[in-house]
Amino acid sequence: MANTWGYGAMTNSLGDIQNAKAIIIFGANPAVNHPVGFGHFLKAKERNNAQIIVVDPRYTKTAAKADIFAQIRPGTDIPFMYGMLNIIFKNGWEDKKFIKDRVYGIEDIRKEAAKWTPEKVADVTGVSAEKLMQITRVYAKSTPGTLIWAMGLTQHTIGSSNTRMAPILQLCLGNMGVEGGGTNILRGHDNVQGATDMCCLSHTLPGYYGLSAGSWKYFAKSWGVDYEWLAGRFKDKKMMSAKGFTLAKWYSGVLAGKPGEDKIHNAGTNLKALFVMGNGITSIAQQAKVKEALDNLELIVLADPFVNEAAILTDKKDDVFLLPAATQFETSGSVTATNRSAQWRYQVVEPMYESKPDHEIMFEFAKRLGFYDEYTKGMLIRENKKTFKFPEDATDEIARIIKTIGLTGWTSKRLKKHTDNWHMFDEVSLRGTGPMKGEYYGLPWPCWTESHSGSPVLYNINRSVKEGGMGFRNRFGLEHDGQNLLAGKGSAPKGSSNKDGYAEITAKNIESVLGIKLSAAEKKKIGKNWKVDTSNIIAEKCMEAGIAPYGNAKARAKVWTFPDQIPMHREPLHSPRQDLAKKYPSYKDKANHYRVDTKYISKQTEKDWSKEFPINLVTGRLVNLNGAGMENRASKYLAELTPEMFCDIHPGLAANHGIRNGDMMWVHSPEGTKIKVKAKFSYSVSEDRVFLPMHFAGHFQGEDLSHKYPEGTKPYAVGESANTVTNYGYDIVTQIPETKGGLCRIEKA
Amino acid sequence: MKKYLFLSIASLFLASAAFAADSQIWDAMRIQNIYGYGQVESLGLGPLFTMLQANYFAQIFLAVLIGVPAVFLLHYLVIGPKVFSHDGKKIYAFSIFNRIVHQVAAISFIVLIPTGFIMTFGSYFGGGEFVRMMKDLHGIATISFGIVVIPMFLMWIKDMLPNFDDIKWMMIVGGYLSKEKKPVPAGKFNAGQKSWYWIATLGGMVMILTGATMYFLDFDIEMVRSMTGLSQIDLLRVAAILHAFFGMLVVALFFTHVYMAVFAIKGAIHSIITGYKEEEEVEILHSSWYKKLKKEGKI
Amino acid sequence: MSNNEMARMKFYCDDQRCIECNGCSVACAEAHELPTGVSRRKVITLNEGVEGKEFSTSVACMHCTDAPCEQVCPVDCFYIREDGIVLHDKDVCIGCGYCLYACPFGAPQFPRDGAFGTKGAMDKCTMCAGGPLETNSAHERELYGQNRIAEGKVPMCAAMCSTKALIVGSADEVAKIYRTRIAAKGKGVQSAPYGWSKAYSN
Repeated sequence: MANTWGYGAMTNSLGDIQNAKAIIIFGANPAVNHPVGFGHFLKAKERNNAQIIVVDPRYTKTAAKADIFAQIRPGTDIPFMYGMLNIIFKNGWEDKKFIKDRVYGIEDIRKEAAKWTPEKVADVTGVSAEKLMQITRVYAKSTPGTLIWAMGLTQHTIGSSNTRMAPILQLCLGNMGVEGGGTNILRGHDNVQGATDMCCLSHTLPGYYGLSAGSWKYFAKSWGVDYEWLAGRFKDKKMMSAKGFTLAKWYSGVLAGKPGEDKIHNAGTNLKALFVMGNGITSIAQQAKVKEALDNLELIVLADPFVNEAAILTDKKDDVFLLPAATQFETSGSVTATNRSAQWRYQVVEPMYESKPDHEIMFEFAKRLGFYDEYTKGMLIRENKKTFKFPEDATDEIARIIKTIGLTGWTSKRLKKHTDNWHMFDEVSLRGTGPMKGEYYGLPWPCWTESHSGSPVLYNINRSVKEGGMGFRNRFGLEHDGQNLLAGKGSAPKGSSNKDGYAEITAKNIESVLGIKLSAAEKKKIGKNWKVDTSNIIAEKCMEAGIAPYGNAKARAKVWTFPDQIPMHREPLHSPRQDLAKKYPSYKDKANHYRVDTKYISKQTEKDWSKEFPINLVTGRLVNLNGAGMENRASKYLAELTPEMFCDIHPGLAANHGIRNGDMMWVHSPEGTKIKVKAKFSYSVSEDRVFLPMHFAGHFQGEDLSHKYPEGTKPYAVGESANTVTNYGYDIVTQIPETKGGLCRIEKA
Repeated sequence: MKKYLFLSIASLFLASAAFAADSQIWDAMRIQNIYGYGQVESLGLGPLFTMLQANYFAQIFLAVLIGVPAVFLLHYLVIGPKVFSHDGKKIYAFSIFNRIVHQVAAISFIVLIPTGFIMTFGSYFGGGEFVRMMKDLHGIATISFGIVVIPMFLMWIKDMLPNFDDIKWMMIVGGYLSKEKKPVPAGKFNAGQKSWYWIATLGGMVMILTGATMYFLDFDIEMVRSMTGLSQIDLLRVAAILHAFFGMLVVALFFTHVYMAVFAIKGAIHSIITGYKEEEEVEILHSSWYKKLKKEGKI
Repeated sequence: MSNNEMARMKFYCDDQRCIECNGCSVACAEAHELPTGVSRRKVITLNEGVEGKEFSTSVACMHCTDAPCEQVCPVDCFYIREDGIVLHDKDVCIGCGYCLYACPFGAPQFPRDGAFGTKGAMDKCTMCAGGPLETNSAHERELYGQNRIAEGKVPMCAAMCSTKALIVGSADEVAKIYRTRIAAKGKGVQSAPYGWSKAYSN
């Protein structure tokens, strides 16, 4: 996404989906995971006669509300979308002007699409050619169409290709930058977008600033600390700029060196301690490895309102600490919704018992580790204060520093005002009325200045920049292979002083691009470029001129820095189709992938996995539970809805294994692990796959760990974690685990 | 007899064990089982039950409660009771076992019937604690009746099988419409007693089963469902309708039985207490049995 | 409906919108602190996983105009408020179960609290209108749950419905919303929501 057009976030908003004429959903189940947001889908269908198309391995609750449903084999979204493009190009349904002016590299896509005839697609995906043609016709003809995805698209070894493929489809149909269009990625949890923006990631600094020395220096300056002091906290400057471990593979950091484990590049040492804040550890793939890693750590600290089941999973007896963290209701601050909008959340009650809000826990650690002053200094700078007020000053600090995604306008004062007046905003367009006129709800980023309206629809050139308009970001240079990467003539946002494409704005080019003259005082204050311009002169001047600070370029269908320049189909590491795995093999093994040597082709060709493990394994969520389910399973009413871990299985498949509805069954994985779960007959899965919900914990490979819960903390529902049997496999770029396309074997328990 | 006792208790235990299983009425089974919405699969038992219970059951019970005793009062006044000599010889008719079984059943009925009526006319008692207590009593009395019903069924069945006398007896309504003392065709038990026997035992068992069904409400016994082909809720509805229907029969015949034993045949009640019937009474009212006993030289 | 008659309160669940999220049933249980096993409201899915045939709907007491439960109750513990809400008196109820047999929606619930599975007093959806006890008293809350209607609030289930499939209000208002939705769709006309005019309409 970010590599296609600049930002990796939902482009439109949930409310905007009501404007769509067609909604195509790949690997997402909003009816279950976003029940409130799904209301907008239903309204689009009800009021707009929007066609809902669901492409999913399962007949989900979302599919139950769809007009067309295609049951796709897991991990074959790229062939499916190429199949759609094949039909689109053949019939000339693509948006030629849009492609010409605003997209780079479609020729390569055209060539690849030509190979994916509907018949070939049918063979690979399991969706009939007729259905593919029906879906393509409906989707291409009903514009604007919005494309929805979630973890079903991303959690594959080729997840990063999938997430480029979907934008390419939208670009070809000209569905980008319009109301009712866009690529709308649904974030799975409250404030995931905010957590990502603020860098709960191991390969960037907050606001997606890279790990280069330049970025570090910018932050050192903005935080008011010495760069050398910061660098001194690391082993060396090389490690300072090295990507860290990911959530998916941190266990390798502990287990490396043991036989059969992946090698690591961690400055010569293994991980020794683990500190977890608000992450249900049982929601991570490779549960058996995670358990082994936990057992081998020297220290585990778990800060959570509920007992983090990492503590239950591990056999480690000493040096495991549970810190009682406060819930969202016991603290306040801004949260970012899936559509890049922020909301202020007020405190409802004081923290109960001895629990503490997350920031206090971190402050206390910083004090004891001796860097509290440096840690909190950034909050004092804006107004040159002696003491800070949390979280308002932290929010203002973010607004002051983060330019890349345009958080300048997100002052705590403005965010509170939006939340206080939320009834004054329209749910579809997000436009404010009355005193909130001229602003969009939650100031969806980029919100360039403190008076900017916010940008509800990204890359929309039908609005002025001031009102949230913009072209695609100029992020990948000015040209490639001799072709200009800037947007075509006349494709600048409305009211722009420069009608054509232009580069991102720097102190150097600002006068020429905007056609203005800066005063001497301004020249002195201005930052080097728009990303580090704390004076905000660039943004202010750009608003006046109707220019997007990040430039106006073409989106790219071709990412020349990726292993596959254009998205290519590659079979999952554990594919039920060995013939196709040979034809569409996985990547070469990747060394030092987030510090871990990660296996691809060597794993795929280790043996014919499908012989021993013939059934596709799909995991996902339930409506009443969330993430690792710690807090939900501790609610008796929620637990009552699904009191036990189960496996959705087609009655036909079950019959072949002598399993009756309600029987216990074993699910074995290629990793040599197994779980014992209750069989639940369901026609939502076909006979070649089973579905496991991912929220349970408390059992491990048939063993009940209930006795390990501290007294009074055992949830109402416990069960096997689906992730005990999810397979090895990680995305080639992001290292997200391949939990949506593994294999398994089942037997009656 | 221990066997029967064991069986009765076992069946109770089974019912409560089945109860612990998943709900057959609520949760996921609710819609599969409860056909509202005018679905075609519905047997229409819901509306039927509603119609009967709302408009007829209480009224019929009231009619039985008042009507049957009224008829007997008329009979008593017009025709009057039969009086037999209590000074003559006595014939041993009921063993001690017979009598104990009968007495347990009798006491159960004396509890079951009024409590049943109180529930039927619960609104006149204001519902609440009192009626709930009666409901519990009704359940407890069922247990004692349940224990003796099978022994009772078995110990008398041989004498209760129908024969030609019964038709003749029916033709003259047991001679109760005349004041004459003419031998009535009947074995040890006459056709009236036989009817009562069958209603009280087989009907009683139906009452127990339907009552238990309603009492336990939510149980999962595969056999019952496959045998009846009914969903749980329809099973309950059928149970309620049958319970009311058999209730009416049992009550009507119970009243008759009491009237006969206490009023219509003076002193007849003593036979089930002492075990001995008056010879004259046997000679007239159970003439066939009398002849048989004579032939066998037992008198 | 004649004008001088008070508006009757009705539930309606739009099965085009219901996604079986169970928000209504959990909100209800939580609000009224029901024992587990008692579901005043329940979401039901038919033909689960069967393409094109699966649909869900939320079921509770429909507060029928001709309430069959009220007709069959041997102790007359039911009463129908002027606004059409069907309530019952738990102190009068004897737990006989007849209302359950009569109900076309399986609404009456019986907590299984006694030995041998003795049924306690019946429990059912009150449309968040409490019971015959003093409004908003602790005793009322304990027996019947919250009385939100008395506070001018929407019943919990409908307030919490994520897709606004479940709506509640006077029959006129609900019918208006229903008609608006049908008109917007321009297809799928139904004469009236399920179980409204009569519980058993044959």
